Amino acid sequence: MSISEQPREPAGGEPRDVSATPPPPVPPRTRAADGPADDPSEMPPLSPVGRLAATVDRLSREVRAAQAEAEGRALIELAKGILVERLGCGPAQAARQLAELAEQAQLTPLELAVDVINQAARDRMSEVTDAFLAATGTGDDTADDDAGDGGAESAAVRLRAAESGALAADDTQAVADALLEQALRPLGAAAVAIWAAGSDGSLTLAGSAGFSPAEATRWRYVPPDVATVARRGLTERAGQWITSLAETGLPSVGRHQFPEGGRVAVPAGTGGRLHGVLEIAWPVPLAPQPPQVVRQVEALAELCAHTLETYAPPHGAGPQPRILPDAVELMDLADGLHDPALVLVPHLDGAGHLVDFRIQHVNRRFLDPAGRPRAVVGGALLLEAYPMAAGDSELFQRVERVYATGEPFRAQHMSLTALVDQVPLSAVADISISRHGNAVLLIWRIEDEAARLASLLQHAQRLGRIGGFEENVLTGEITWNGQLFDLYGRPPTSIPVPLEELPGHAHPDDAVPIGRFLRTLLHHRRPASAAFRLQRPDGVTRHIRIVAEPVLDTDGRLLVVRGAYQDISAQHWTEVALAATRDQLAHTEQQASERARLTLQLQHAIMPPAQAPLRVPDLQVAVRYRPAETEQLVGGDWYDAVMLPNRLVLLCVGDVAGHGIEAATSMVVLRNALRGLAVTGAGPGQLLSWLNIVAHHLTGAVTATAVCGLYDPARRTLRWARAGHLPPVLVRGPQANPLPLVRGMLLGAVAEAAYEEAEVQLAAEDTLLMYTDGLIERRDRSVEESLAQLLSTVRPAPSTLDQHLDRLLTYSRSDTDDDTCIVGIRVG
Amino acid sequence: MPIAQNPLSVEVTLPREDVALLTVEGYLDVDTATEFQHHLANQLHHGRRHFLLDMSAVPFMDSSGMNIILRVYQEARDLPGSVHIISPAPAVRRILDLTGVSITVPVSQSVEEALALVDAQQATDGAEPDA
Repeated sequence: MSISEQPREPAGGEPRDVSATPPPPVPPRTRAADGPADDPSEMPPLSPVGRLAATVDRLSREVRAAQAEAEGRALIELAKGILVERLGCGPAQAARQLAELAEQAQLTPLELAVDVINQAARDRMSEVTDAFLAATGTGDDTADDDAGDGGAESAAVRLRAAESGALAADDTQAVADALLEQALRPLGAAAVAIWAAGSDGSLTLAGSAGFSPAEATRWRYVPPDVATVARRGLTERAGQWITSLAETGLPSVGRHQFPEGGRVAVPAGTGGRLHGVLEIAWPVPLAPQPPQVVRQVEALAELCAHTLETYAPPHGAGPQPRILPDAVELMDLADGLHDPALVLVPHLDGAGHLVDFRIQHVNRRFLDPAGRPRAVVGGALLLEAYPMAAGDSELFQRVERVYATGEPFRAQHMSLTALVDQVPLSAVADISISRHGNAVLLIWRIEDEAARLASLLQHAQRLGRIGGFEENVLTGEITWNGQLFDLYGRPPTSIPVPLEELPGHAHPDDAVPIGRFLRTLLHHRRPASAAFRLQRPDGVTRHIRIVAEPVLDTDGRLLVVRGAYQDISAQHWTEVALAATRDQLAHTEQQASERARLTLQLQHAIMPPAQAPLRVPDLQVAVRYRPAETEQLVGGDWYDAVMLPNRLVLLCVGDVAGHGIEAATSMVVLRNALRGLAVTGAGPGQLLSWLNIVAHHLTGAVTATAVCGLYDPARRTLRWARAGHLPPVLVRGPQANPLPLVRGMLLGAVAEAAYEEAEVQLAAEDTLLMYTDGLIERRDRSVEESLAQLLSTVRPAPSTLDQHLDRLLTYSRSDTDDDTCIVGIRVG
Repeated sequence: MPIAQNPLSVEVTLPREDVALLTVEGYLDVDTATEFQHHLANQLHHGRRHFLLDMSAVPFMDSSGMNIILRVYQEARDLPGSVHIISPAPAVRRILDLTGVSITVPVSQSVEEALALVDAQQATDGAEPDA
């Protein structure tokens, strides 16, 4: 009790200072805080919340101190055991010896105990092995004579010491942790499970380490007669030595975590009674082990048996499950996130009121803003770990509210404060809080990323002659990078110039733009930029552009202003020279873009991308028009699907050569001409013949291609002709084939042309497609190949015609940015 | 924009005084069509009336290339003269058939065959080259 403690950290984290007696060493200040409180017992004059936080912090220290004391006692006992063995003395003598040695070494007894244990631990495994080999008569007696009674007793002492240490911990869980860290990791193992065997043949997971908490919870109980690795291990005296778990096909805890790894399950028994099984998992396949290792594992199993002997399996209704199912799922989720995440569960007081949240789990990405190791934060209460959460940031209130209402909360640039040895450290973070079942998921992204990018940025800044700055509006703290001092012509040791004093360093004529810049930035709190002439102390004038943005907290208050100065002196004169030219260019550009817009509007007006459906009995008609991606490439594609007075349906797609307003105009002429001509009731060959004359006599001698068909709904026939255009494609069942290439010259090339006609008889469910070559055109293949590809796309015909056309457009492998038309009919 | 690895090469020889044989090599597409057109315009300017286009080394032709052929066809027809396409690759032949250009512009398998057609046309003297 009277021991001053400095417990060993099993995970090798930073030591927790737990003592109240010696003032803890003042931690190195990582920040040049303006007024740090050197006396840790006195808070800087903070708000009442700060005072409260300090109290909570002190209380939590006391709790930890008590825990550590218990651990420390166990360690002293352990060291005593070691001394008993080494010196061959009694326990009381060992205790005296420990105290004396500590005094001589000017160490606390605990520190000395740790030293003693460390020393012993260095050769622990070999000792265990040797001892057991000796005890079982297969090896030599290698123990020192100092030990008095030889190897057998040495082994017994060691086991007892380990056992006492293990029993000092409050549950088998601690034994599992200790086993894994101290004995099994050196053997390459990654996880351990200690199973308690029930009298009914069931197995209960009494403790585990190295498995995910969720996995351990899933495996907390294995009913009788379920063949698992552990179950097999229980029935065979020699245990199970498995090279690779995957090969056995046996289920076991952590199977997905270490699928190919080796497994060992050995029975844990004392005095002829089996109490359970020790199961060890390796991350990689396990080769056959030498007898020494086998003996070690058996010795460890026996150690487990001692702890299991006293293990009381939880009764059905008695103990509450250690982890709620909601939290388990959430922990798995948290582990999959790339941002630091905490799983919080409510912590109620005796009266059932919510007083705090327990940090049930922190994920791998978790980084404590105060830099504490994960293990310290995990398991703690939220207000204990982050007393300042109750402060201005209202983090705790947010969590409480999310828990109460289920309404998620997200915020950017929230300021988080953590208290590290009474020094409040703040970090800015993006926060997300959401409720899942009975648990709360808290995610934060500390803006440390920025720091990591900073060095990269610095290189870029040097190259671009960019000087970066950051100004804390609250503290007045200003940070400049080296480049900015250079731009100002000041030594890097000088004091940075605050933004507000900028006018004093600029040419008087530039006062107005600088004033506007500062007003936008600081008053309106919006990003701003300005160009001005910087007058340096050495008489040099530089043309500078400054850009800056405000960083606000969640309440919209200005926290920080950051930005950059860029030296544009060289650029400046070039720009002046360019300005005149640019004016001229802008005018031309404007004309061009207006022209393109006009063309597009024209096209849309004539041929809306989506058209009202045409109603024909027993026939679905669908059309698609996809304009070219670049406005300038507005093309001359057209489609038409219209019911004629003679009850035939005119179907047509066409393509005027070229792009732009001329092509679009010709398209309008041809499309309307065909509509008009079709009313005469002439056949498709004749229609195209006439249309050729129209095209030929259009000014500008356009050429165009088209395919034109007349569908007779009564007979289900399509009579069609083509003018230099790709023939329609008929999709019938699983087949998709182009119709034959009937003769037909493209439109407009010759004064008179004749067009061959063909007729195709359609059947129910047939689909017929007409399209322009924007759908298939590729530079690297022939029309044949492109067509074959297209046909393979349309082959598994989707259920509706609209889907069919959409799919064609989606999967078109065309590589030219051309406009595209499709007309499709399906006989229904 | 232009595909530099496939520049168009056009070689011009004169089997007759008024007959230009243009041997084209490379992709005949939107990037190269203008160059091809310059060659043809040049020959028109020099008084050639018959144009034999050896397309055996043209693996690909798009609508721009085809429009050039149609344009020279229209100009030659008014002279009167003619345009002949000689041994096009299958992909080009397909385009010619697809667009119906081969209905109007005769396709020959060799320079000799094309020259024979030119001679036959000149024999009928000024008759329309195509029915």
